Amino acid sequence: MTLAITIGVLIAGAVYLLLQRGMVRIVLGFVLLSHGANLLLMSAGGIFRRGEPLLGRQTAGALADPLPQAFVLTAIVIAFSITIYMLTLAVTGKGDDTEDAS
Amino acid sequence: MPLLLLLVVLTVATLCVPVLDRVLGRATGWPLAVVLALLTVPVLAQGPRLWNGAPALEASVSWMPALGVGLTLRMDGLSWLFCVLVLGVGALIMAYSARYFPPGRRTGFYLLMSSFALAMTGLVLADDLVLLFVFWELTTICSFYLIGLSGPTAARPAVRTFLLTALGGLALLAAVVLLWTHTGTTRLSAVLDDLSWTRDTAFTATVAVLVIIAVFTKSAQFPFHYWLPDAMAASTPVSAYLHAAAMVKAGVYLAMRFSPAFADTAVWGTSLLVAGLITALLGAVCALRSHDLKELTAYSTVSQLGFLIAVIGVGTPQALIAAAVHTLAHALFKATLFMVVGVVDHQSGTRDLRELGGLRRVMPITATVSALAALSMAGVPPLLGFVSKENVFEALLHTPTVPWAGPVPAVAAVLAAALTVAYAFRFVYGTFGGRRLRHPGTRTPREGDAFFLAAPAITALAGLVLGVAVPVLNPIAERAAGDATHETAEAHLALWHGLNPALGMSAAALLIGALVAWGLSTTSVAVPLWRLPVRGTAIFDRLHAGVIVLGRRVGDPTRSDAPTRHLAVPLILVIVFAAAVAVRGLDYGTPVGDASRPLDWLVVALVTVSVVTAVAVRSRMAALVLIGLAGFAVAIWFMFLGAIDVALTQLLVEILTVVVAVLVLRRLPAGFHRVRPSRTVVTAVIAIACGTAAGLGAYLLTGRREPSAVSAHLLENAPADTGGTNVVNTILVDYRALDTLGELTVLGVAGLIIIAVLRSMGLSEVGRLRPTVGRDNPVWAADANTVIMRTVARVLIPLLVVWSFYLLARGHNASGGGFIAGLVGGAAFALAYLVAPNASVARIRLTYPAIIAVGVLIAVFTGLLGFVDGSFLRPLHADVPLPWGGHYHFTTALVFDVGVYLAVVGVILTALNQLGLPRPDSAPAPAPAPARRDAATGGTR
Repeated sequence: MTLAITIGVLIAGAVYLLLQRGMVRIVLGFVLLSHGANLLLMSAGGIFRRGEPLLGRQTAGALADPLPQAFVLTAIVIAFSITIYMLTLAVTGKGDDTEDAS
Repeated sequence: MPLLLLLVVLTVATLCVPVLDRVLGRATGWPLAVVLALLTVPVLAQGPRLWNGAPALEASVSWMPALGVGLTLRMDGLSWLFCVLVLGVGALIMAYSARYFPPGRRTGFYLLMSSFALAMTGLVLADDLVLLFVFWELTTICSFYLIGLSGPTAARPAVRTFLLTALGGLALLAAVVLLWTHTGTTRLSAVLDDLSWTRDTAFTATVAVLVIIAVFTKSAQFPFHYWLPDAMAASTPVSAYLHAAAMVKAGVYLAMRFSPAFADTAVWGTSLLVAGLITALLGAVCALRSHDLKELTAYSTVSQLGFLIAVIGVGTPQALIAAAVHTLAHALFKATLFMVVGVVDHQSGTRDLRELGGLRRVMPITATVSALAALSMAGVPPLLGFVSKENVFEALLHTPTVPWAGPVPAVAAVLAAALTVAYAFRFVYGTFGGRRLRHPGTRTPREGDAFFLAAPAITALAGLVLGVAVPVLNPIAERAAGDATHETAEAHLALWHGLNPALGMSAAALLIGALVAWGLSTTSVAVPLWRLPVRGTAIFDRLHAGVIVLGRRVGDPTRSDAPTRHLAVPLILVIVFAAAVAVRGLDYGTPVGDASRPLDWLVVALVTVSVVTAVAVRSRMAALVLIGLAGFAVAIWFMFLGAIDVALTQLLVEILTVVVAVLVLRRLPAGFHRVRPSRTVVTAVIAIACGTAAGLGAYLLTGRREPSAVSAHLLENAPADTGGTNVVNTILVDYRALDTLGELTVLGVAGLIIIAVLRSMGLSEVGRLRPTVGRDNPVWAADANTVIMRTVARVLIPLLVVWSFYLLARGHNASGGGFIAGLVGGAAFALAYLVAPNASVARIRLTYPAIIAVGVLIAVFTGLLGFVDGSFLRPLHADVPLPWGGHYHFTTALVFDVGVYLAVVGVILTALNQLGLPRPDSAPAPAPAPARRDAATGGTR
């Protein structure tokens, strides 16, 4: 429930920002969107077991699913590289208005 | 004779063209003519076997066995006739081409002509529907290039021809697929032998209409007739081949081939008969109106094809005999006429009837050859055209297809034939007749040489010889018509059948034609025949433009650079899908375990507050900070979920994102753009709907099952498989190392793209975000203000670097790994960048693209090392004994992680250096220049 609410809030904020004029706002929306998507991936793995998947420290039954974690880890780094790329696009040319009539 | 050999030899000949052309130039036509002629001989030799009732020759090579599609060839009487025409006429036209073109290389022409011969041969021999379609399309493609070869003016006709014949090709494809799925086989002979599928009348009618479209577009039948005269933009040998033996005859062949299947389908016979006769009349009228000899001949082809299609529409064995003979007759006289047009054009410099006349005085052989062909076309005995046309009349008189039409087909045919007589006369008399010698040039035209005239002379004489000795054609026609109709056909080809209606029709046609010709020749004015109100090409161009405009209209909503236009659509679709699922309802299952903890609510509150305020503020900097805050909250979430590595990564990425974003923001205005309140409302509604959908989706569709089997497997086997206990890291560098390699590459490419984008477009000017404090304000002194930070950084940066190495090394067994270590190392550089007192100190002099490249290369190299153990990216393990006892477990997965580390660091360096600093080449000239000027002015004082 708590994670679902977080995802909902993040996605709502992301969509609102994605539909704005300025490129920077769109990029920030994209950042929130990636947060939401990453949490959704975690949620898909099941979140009632929350033990760190470091073996030899806890009993195996309580450990969280490591696969979504691996996915999310790489996803975060990829999202980072895409974010800085989009930020670059925001500052090439004049300003970051995406709907400039001229 | 192995049929495949035909195609193999033609393919080899085609492939040899570039070499031959380099050596021989235009004379390449000779060896190609020899090849085609040599291939004609064994084909001809098969004739007597076939006439004696031998079964059709077959050959097959496996092509797509899984689909049951084979390279299956079959030569029966019908295929034999067309094959002889394609190869024989092809040989003559190749020989003619060797003399027609001015000396020089003709690679494109000969390459395409021999491909054309190959495609046509394959088409008439194909016994597989798919193969048939492939060769059919190959002829379309060849004709497109052959027409387009003639220069810029031919571009439009080439495109028009291509689009129209490709339309027919699509119809044929649809027919092929329908037949294939319905009958379960792609063997053409099997489909046509077992006609049980024709009992489904609606299906048969559909297939018939599709085949009709294919035939009509290929064979230039009304209303698609206009492409053929349009295509005369091609060079004359191309036209000769296209009109006489190839391309248009493909449609005739297909119609004859499919005639048994559609014998009882009303739409088939009626369409062919009606469209054929309209085309015959229309083509004849247009031919009579043309002044250009080539255009006249092209329209004559249209008209003669109309006769052929109409008589195929009649469908009786007698009609198919007439069609077979007329196909042969037409190939002979039309090849002759086109080649003669080429000769006249070549020798006199024009092919306009208004500028020509009396050429018989200087070109007697050409005149005789054209007269023979024209007489055959006009249907004058004893030429072959007379026999074939009389058979066409005879067949049309006994039309079972449209009994209600009565004598109309016969009358229309006689009229068209009469006009044929008139334009045949016009062709010959206008060019060669008349009292005065007329030609545009100053030099008197000379007769073409023997090599030039040989090919047209052969075809013209063949028309005469076969006309006189027409009974020899009986077995050919019988077998062809028999194989086409699947009924026994008896041919009684002869010059004299006694007094019968067909003879009367021939006589009437000749008489009316002679009167028309006489009428026209005595009036010296331009031919006073009516002109069609519209031209086919104009209609086509209008339709073509219309389709493009329509496409543009359809695409208009997406023709925008604004991301909103593109992003809104999928977002709204998400809402629609979510609503659909909500209405429909699903079995969501019951939640497994307790997914919420009390402490979670704290993070929920933090995320909510930061997101809500981030979307509401207008200051860019505030929004950035609040988004960063949301990111930290998400990192805490990851920590709560037991994903400590992910949380660390998230934290570091958040820091670096904010650092990079600040570098960007100082180049932009302080506030966001203002938008209309109404837009804000709409956006908010979409956003809330999407958020609700996502939240509900996450709640209802996840967390309702036990941990997956994959999870259990990984947790159980990771140490044994990989020697690591940090399961997440083992997945990254071992189990799913290929994914990581891919992601690494994306990372590296993003870094390189940033460099490329900034190189090509440059950064916007810095300066709109100047500090607004005065010089006396303590904040002004940047250098003094960072003293504490610099002091801390001096200690912290080496620590960060060392820590990053440590994280990298231990990643396999404890939290850490290449990504996290790389981010920590990157953070060290970011700190170094932030505390730098000015730009030149901040500039990081490492070659960051090289670091990215080295990182990716190390990862790939480690992957290749994996081949030692059998597969790409499989880690190798070794236990290294340590001097103080024990072992260090070394694995190449660690080296792979070093690659990850370097790529991440490289990208961060790229972002800092590219976005944070003015480019060295675009930097304003620094202090020395003004200083020099000061010195200079000081000197003058």
